[in-house]
Amino acid sequence: MIAEAWDWAARVVEWGVANWSRPGEPDRGVLPRLTEHMRLSYLSILIGLVLALPLGLACVRWKPLYPPVLTGVNVLYAVPSIALFFLMLPYTGFSDWTAVVPLALYTLVVLLPNVVDGLRQVPDHVRQAAVAMGFGPLRRLVYVETPVAVPVIIAGLRVASVATISMVSVASLVGLGGLGQLILSDGFRRQFDAPIVVGIVLTVLLAFVTDAVLVLAQRLLTPWAREDGGRRRRRRAAGPAGADTAAAPTAPRAAETAEAAVRRPVRTGPGTGHTAEEGRSWTS
Amino acid sequence: MITFEGAAKLYPDGTVAVDALDLTVETGQTTVFVGPSGSGKTTSLRMINRMVEPTGGAVLIDGQDVRLRDPAALRRSIGYVIQQAGLFPHRTVRDNIATVPLLLGWGRARARARAAELMELVGLEPSQARRYPHQLSGGQQQRVGVARALAADPPILLMDEPFSAVDPVVRASLQDELLRLQEELHKTVVFVTHDIDEAVRLGDRIAVFRPGGRLAQYDSPERLLAAPRDAFVESFVGYDRGVRRLSFFPARELSLREDVVFGDDTAAGAAAASMRGEPWALVVTGDHVPLGWAGAGQLARVPADTALGSLDLAPYGHTFAVDTDSLRAALDAAVLSPAGRAVGVDAAGRVVGVVSQEDLGTALWSVTE
Repeated sequence: MIAEAWDWAARVVEWGVANWSRPGEPDRGVLPRLTEHMRLSYLSILIGLVLALPLGLACVRWKPLYPPVLTGVNVLYAVPSIALFFLMLPYTGFSDWTAVVPLALYTLVVLLPNVVDGLRQVPDHVRQAAVAMGFGPLRRLVYVETPVAVPVIIAGLRVASVATISMVSVASLVGLGGLGQLILSDGFRRQFDAPIVVGIVLTVLLAFVTDAVLVLAQRLLTPWAREDGGRRRRRRAAGPAGADTAAAPTAPRAAETAEAAVRRPVRTGPGTGHTAEEGRSWTS
Repeated sequence: MITFEGAAKLYPDGTVAVDALDLTVETGQTTVFVGPSGSGKTTSLRMINRMVEPTGGAVLIDGQDVRLRDPAALRRSIGYVIQQAGLFPHRTVRDNIATVPLLLGWGRARARARAAELMELVGLEPSQARRYPHQLSGGQQQRVGVARALAADPPILLMDEPFSAVDPVVRASLQDELLRLQEELHKTVVFVTHDIDEAVRLGDRIAVFRPGGRLAQYDSPERLLAAPRDAFVESFVGYDRGVRRLSFFPARELSLREDVVFGDDTAAGAAAASMRGEPWALVVTGDHVPLGWAGAGQLARVPADTALGSLDLAPYGHTFAVDTDSLRAALDAAVLSPAGRAVGVDAAGRVVGVVSQEDLGTALWSVTE
């Protein structure tokens, strides 16, 4: 039994290595599929973020705008991805845009609420203090509100990237490349399991690495939201430093909100089995 | 000088936040706006830096209507301390303090040097410069808030319930710090609080607001406690205003008795003979450090040649400093002393004399006249 499994795994790895890239055929092999997958997913996430930021700012600035915009984004998310890809085909053909446009729109369902919540969770006393110091509305947005929102926005980016990387696989159904092509074309059609496994493993690995990069980015961008970042300093500064009795250190609110955001229910699977909208109360 | 000329704030829903306020805040003094919630004290404060625009009347700084000035420029020239400090969580202590200098275009090096200066002024350690606000205690955060407000050396400092979110011990130390700073800086401070004790402690002048945004009384703290204008002010300042008012009278005006103070080597008989009917004798060391009380009955019971220092003395409780304390401290010392008498000491803690109940009573009656 174990020996059989071992043989099978060895066969899969062997296939993966043998087909990694094919000299003379730059468009065939595993590597081109992986780079395609990265290009499609990162482009979608990036465009999603570029759309979500101004849209979120507008929704915070003009409050009545938010409910209809959010509803629109949610409804769009309910459209099966495969249907959207086919709808795009007549206009964009087999270019990247056929996959990128729908996927970018899908990321909004997570990114938009996070941008809005991130900007809104700036504590009122902080906002008031900024006004009283003489920050105009634009400076306040750029120097106070947006930086404070970064942890929540990155939390949204993490969820959106994992979801997008997973959904790019579906794009192969309409012949748009990516690791899904290994799974669908090479695997299912030829009744051959090695490409399927290689495709799945690489997709999961890509999602995992991307998430790790985002976590790292957050640590570098927001040292102020880190609890351990302070612990080292706190120990150094301990002793008779403060004249006041030390209060219990309070975790920054942004970090809490960021964690809450990660726990949000999100559909990551491709295909048509859309989850019911039971988890949507958080968006209101 | 800040002048409110019939300044009013009426909200569209009909709520009157401030109803035609006429009031002058003197330059270089601390003026406290005090009142229950909904009395318009914070709204009035915010009219000064245009965070709230009056719907009627005007607010003038040194004779100029604030509405003639650009709001952002006006605010940069006025320090502001908010409840809970309102520090920017993503900026270090140093950069928080340097906020207004940076907005004014001072350049980073100069702004940071100024921040370091201010940290020292408000009693923060240089090692805290690179920490983030959430790594500080509430009291330290508020110190940063005060430093930030003072960074560009504004002539006016607005403080909106700045110490209400910290515990009483820290609050008292922050109040002391503010009094010390004010002695040094002489800013025009407008301080909002709902705590009458804080108002009496910090204010040179106190404006009591009543619900509906009306000014009930504007007076010195001493006058406010002595003569509340009406029932509202009287109930707001509290039932023990008579005792609290004693804080404004120095203890040095009390007459001190030295004839009931004896060295610890004095014989009991000699002490009893010179007490002339006083029921208690204070025993001190050769350096005039208080040891405790000896009762007249106790002196009569022991052999006449017993040294006072060898007797079992009643504790002297706590003392008051003759030169710096108030009548209130002297009264408190008397009430807490088993002998019912207050021990007055000099700055070095040496006994100057004892205040008898009669003398204390006379002094209390004279200030209530």
